[in-house]
Amino acid sequence: MNINFANLRNLPDSIAAPSTSVHLDNPLYYLYRHCRTTSSNMSMHTSLRRTAVTITNSTTTILPTRLPTQSSGTTFICSQCRHATLLRRPKRPYTFTQLITLSDGSTFTHRTTSPAPIYRSTRDTRNSLLWNPSSSKLMNVEDDEAGRLAAFRARFGRSYDASAPVAEDEAAKDPAAAKQAEADAKAQAKMDQDEEDNLLDLISAFGQTEAPPPPEKKVPKYSGKK
Amino acid sequence: MAAREPSRYLTRALPRASVPSIRPQGFLSRRNVSDEAPARRLSDHLTELESASSLSTVVPNSAAASFDPLARAAARKNQLPRGRYQFRSPKYNRGPLHPHQPPPPSHPSSRLFVPGPFSAPRAEQTFDSTVSPDIMTLCYVHTPPGFKPPPKSARLREWDDSSPYHKNRVLRGPRGGDVLRLLRKPIKFNNIPEIERITIHSYVKNAATERNSSWLHVAGIAVQAISNVRVETFKSKSNVAPWGIASGRDSVAVKAELFGENMYHFLGKLVDVVLPRIKDWEGVKGSSGDSSGNITFGLVPENVALFPELEINYDMYPPKMIPGCHITLHTTAKTDKDARLLLSAMGIPFYGKIVN
Repeated sequence: MNINFANLRNLPDSIAAPSTSVHLDNPLYYLYRHCRTTSSNMSMHTSLRRTAVTITNSTTTILPTRLPTQSSGTTFICSQCRHATLLRRPKRPYTFTQLITLSDGSTFTHRTTSPAPIYRSTRDTRNSLLWNPSSSKLMNVEDDEAGRLAAFRARFGRSYDASAPVAEDEAAKDPAAAKQAEADAKAQAKMDQDEEDNLLDLISAFGQTEAPPPPEKKVPKYSGKK
Repeated sequence: MAAREPSRYLTRALPRASVPSIRPQGFLSRRNVSDEAPARRLSDHLTELESASSLSTVVPNSAAASFDPLARAAARKNQLPRGRYQFRSPKYNRGPLHPHQPPPPSHPSSRLFVPGPFSAPRAEQTFDSTVSPDIMTLCYVHTPPGFKPPPKSARLREWDDSSPYHKNRVLRGPRGGDVLRLLRKPIKFNNIPEIERITIHSYVKNAATERNSSWLHVAGIAVQAISNVRVETFKSKSNVAPWGIASGRDSVAVKAELFGENMYHFLGKLVDVVLPRIKDWEGVKGSSGDSSGNITFGLVPENVALFPELEINYDMYPPKMIPGCHITLHTTAKTDKDARLLLSAMGIPFYGKIVN
């Protein structure tokens, strides 16, 4: 490409730099810009590609539509460009080691942003009913030592809260009733055994069948104001 | 070897170059590059080549004798500056073809390196020692030797070749909805479901309506405090006029993703300390879950304030601005049933109708 660009440098802007839509596709435009920006005399043997690269380095913007003399009014600095991704150091909050003391005295450590070295909990899995459903201590049981509440219920209570613990005495007196009770207990034991078998079946059947696909949910489509 | 190649061709080309061109010159206005060639003699190129090879040069003995790096290092009085001996990762990734490549993120010199783990969280130890053997036992299905499971029909249906246009057509989806569910394989020692990651997401309603970034700042810092992880903020994707949000305009949500050590610390703290303190909490609803093993539940702002990190300096947070959040527990289980089994073993109670 032994083309003389010397007179091209002297052309006025209106001729050498036409409208944006044209000069983006034209490689000569980049060369022209390079000629204008670099003060030294350009060597004629450098390739067009090379000059396009040098122009991006010299202007610090990646957009070729912007001339180096123009400066944007915004303070936002776009340091990212197409050919270089900033490797940001990941930010991690400072963490401390904290000893958690549960309400029953057991402890464990964990990492936390809280600076307190020890955390004593008053309410946790050890003393909440949701995690200890069988604990009688945590149940809301009324203490009825004198039996006054029971007496009140026996007199005024309805069927659901009037308990009937009187049946045991009758069974002790009558031998026929005792025999009946024994038979009942046997039947009960057999039923328990059957139920246990059913549970074992349930366990072994876990995961045998694939979960059926859930029914199609009818999601009402949200339609904003149009 | 490579240097020798062109010379062979050159010797052949030399006599040809000396032959004058048979084409008449000067009659045509068009010029070719090949026309210019005889102007510069090829023998000129040969004179430019160096005759001596750099490989044959002899190193003088004095240079070899003076080369003693150990003695030079010992004679040095103070330590070299760090930049002289320590590799420093490039600040920018300039693409795969750039000669200066950053090291992989797992390398300690990488800028993306995150050190750790530094502790063995209690929840993780519980999972390894107790929960995973239990799950494997519970999910064990005994098959007698020689048992072959009945063949299952294909998930994607073939086209009946009633039309010639059915040839090479892509297969049809399953009947009754075109969603392919995850395949559940029998649980063995190598695919015991475990917790993969925990996502804490908080949509801040007032961040969009009040032109004030403080709501988002407080929410971000609160979520960071309870999770030990820097949060990401998100802009709204859609326009919802009653909520006053427009897509791409407002930052409305913060999210923290927990993995590994942070995740187990958070889970242990959540289960042991925070959830039991919630007043009248029944548990996680049994119908929650996305039917592929991820369970979500929500905490209202009063419950988030129960975390020990927020409690220790509760005065720092404006009480109205403490956010509620959605906590998603992502597990490697393929169905919600397995995920619930795992999470209930880890201490998260479920209530109500269990939907699998």
